Amino acid sequence: MGDPRFPTNYAILLAGPPGVGKFEYTVAQAREALRAGERVVFVTLDLHPNEIRARAKALHLDLEAYEGKSFAFVDCYSATASERPEPASGKKTFLVSSFSNLEGIGMAMSKAAQELGTPVRIYFYTISTLFLHNSTQAIAKFFQIVTSRAKMNMGFILYAVQEGVHETMTMNLLRSLVDGVVEMRFTDTMDREVRVHHMRGYQVDSSWHPFVQMPVLPGGAL
Amino acid sequence: MTGTGDGSRIRTGIQVLDERLKGGFPRPSTLLLFSDKPTEKRLFAENFAVQGAIAGEITLYVDFFRAPTLARAELSRFGKYPADRLIVVDAVSSQLMVESSEPYRIKDIDDLQEICDVIVQAIQEQKPSRIVIDSMEFLADHFPKDAVLDQWKRIIDEAAKVRSVTCFLFINWTYHERDLSAIRALSDFVVEFQSSMRGGILRNSMRISEMEEGGIRTNWIPYAFKDLVGVTVYFPRIMVTGPFNAGKSTVVRSLCEKSISIDRMGTTVAFDYGSVNITGIEAEIFGTPGQERFEFIFKIFAREVSGVLLVIDASRPEDFERARHMLELIGPRIPYVVLANKSDLPGALAPDTIVRKMDLPDGTPVVPTVATESKGVRDALAILAEMIIGVR
Repeated sequence: MGDPRFPTNYAILLAGPPGVGKFEYTVAQAREALRAGERVVFVTLDLHPNEIRARAKALHLDLEAYEGKSFAFVDCYSATASERPEPASGKKTFLVSSFSNLEGIGMAMSKAAQELGTPVRIYFYTISTLFLHNSTQAIAKFFQIVTSRAKMNMGFILYAVQEGVHETMTMNLLRSLVDGVVEMRFTDTMDREVRVHHMRGYQVDSSWHPFVQMPVLPGGAL
Repeated sequence: MTGTGDGSRIRTGIQVLDERLKGGFPRPSTLLLFSDKPTEKRLFAENFAVQGAIAGEITLYVDFFRAPTLARAELSRFGKYPADRLIVVDAVSSQLMVESSEPYRIKDIDDLQEICDVIVQAIQEQKPSRIVIDSMEFLADHFPKDAVLDQWKRIIDEAAKVRSVTCFLFINWTYHERDLSAIRALSDFVVEFQSSMRGGILRNSMRISEMEEGGIRTNWIPYAFKDLVGVTVYFPRIMVTGPFNAGKSTVVRSLCEKSISIDRMGTTVAFDYGSVNITGIEAEIFGTPGQERFEFIFKIFAREVSGVLLVIDASRPEDFERARHMLELIGPRIPYVVLANKSDLPGALAPDTIVRKMDLPDGTPVVPTVATESKGVRDALAILAEMIIGVR
């Protein structure tokens, strides 16, 4: 496959230890989608939208050029401050009041997708943060509902998850509920590698490839 | 719960609902705002709270997700309310580890007993007529089930003592059906919520069921939200149809402040479109052409309508067969009202004659109208709205 984008009506889990480059990988995916004229929603739980804008810019993606047109944030991060942040003009951000408001997160994603128009690609960064604020059982149901909604009605979703902080059972559950898993790791020499572990309905080369700094996509994995 | 006098009922502020509820929810009563998937049920609860504060009632809002400043800012989207009427129980400042000067503040969010003590204290001291608990899944997700159910009952008891109407928001992430039945049994009304996304459009609807034997039960009611207006009942796709030259476009025009018509030499060739807002009902109106050669358009529109206004010329019984055929195309499950238009013309038939001649089921609503003078048209829409909402 020459096209670096994932299929639509599809859900991907991106797993790797902290610092391995999940954010870079996610931004690379979003960038290719936006350049191809697709719509993108970025759900942030770990970073302030301004920080994402700045870090994406360093990775050759100017989000502000797309905001309000084909890109929107679902911001679950900012409201941890008690004041409502004023959205910058022309930028549409969907604010969720709390990490524990799973229902609010789900609805904000639907509204963002509706506002931008479907199909849309959703990047969820990261699902791990939810585990600090909610029971595993609640997250599992949320994950299942949101994944099926995203696949059926919105288009595509990728969740980033931190490797090594969740129990094996939890990771297996998350892996079982998506269509494909992309893994990232450090080698002995602290180089970074990426592979597509599996993708439902596709033959994939599941060998490890070096994860090169942008703008080259991971090993041409897809 | 049969009181009807002043102060015995709490209005939702959504007129068609209040009519269905015979003036509102009775005091005291317990409402379970329930869904098993993410929905916009918070809109209903927030609207309910703000409507109370606007009416000068003391309203208590227990918020586990938003700091009070944020909660108050978001609630003001539902309309301007007197600040002292709306009391927020602050369960968030301690989660964020920020200072709070709220009189009702939960200090230890990991202590179920303390959380509920603060809520009960607020109920006893403020004697609110409306209480919103936003939301119970926060507790269900953080504490053992039996302890949560015990405290749930305690809040219901305390609220009943001050004759409050209490809304418990609850999305079920963790409980089994058996526990849900117990929770439903604690409630006087269950308000269920659905949000669905189809073709990129998000649709919200709700259904009210009184738990009491033989109580009120509505159909799924579509609703919408607008800043500063709050929640309104909204009917997407009301179809105005009928035989050629019955006056469909005139009906659309007389219903809608603004409408557009795609017509040629006075007859509609594509469709009429408009929107209407009367007595708390908002509706989107489509008029279809009556000529048989445009039946393909009719079939496209008939797919997803919420109700039909069938316009006939009451003085032309020779067209009734065509009108009947149109009803058959729409199918058996869509509610409809017959508008006996041009009822001022000589030879116009009476509603019961029309029912007989068209071989319609007994009780089919037939409303005499004169669309050119806007007579009867809004009544017909109101009847249709009631049929869509439904009530047991």
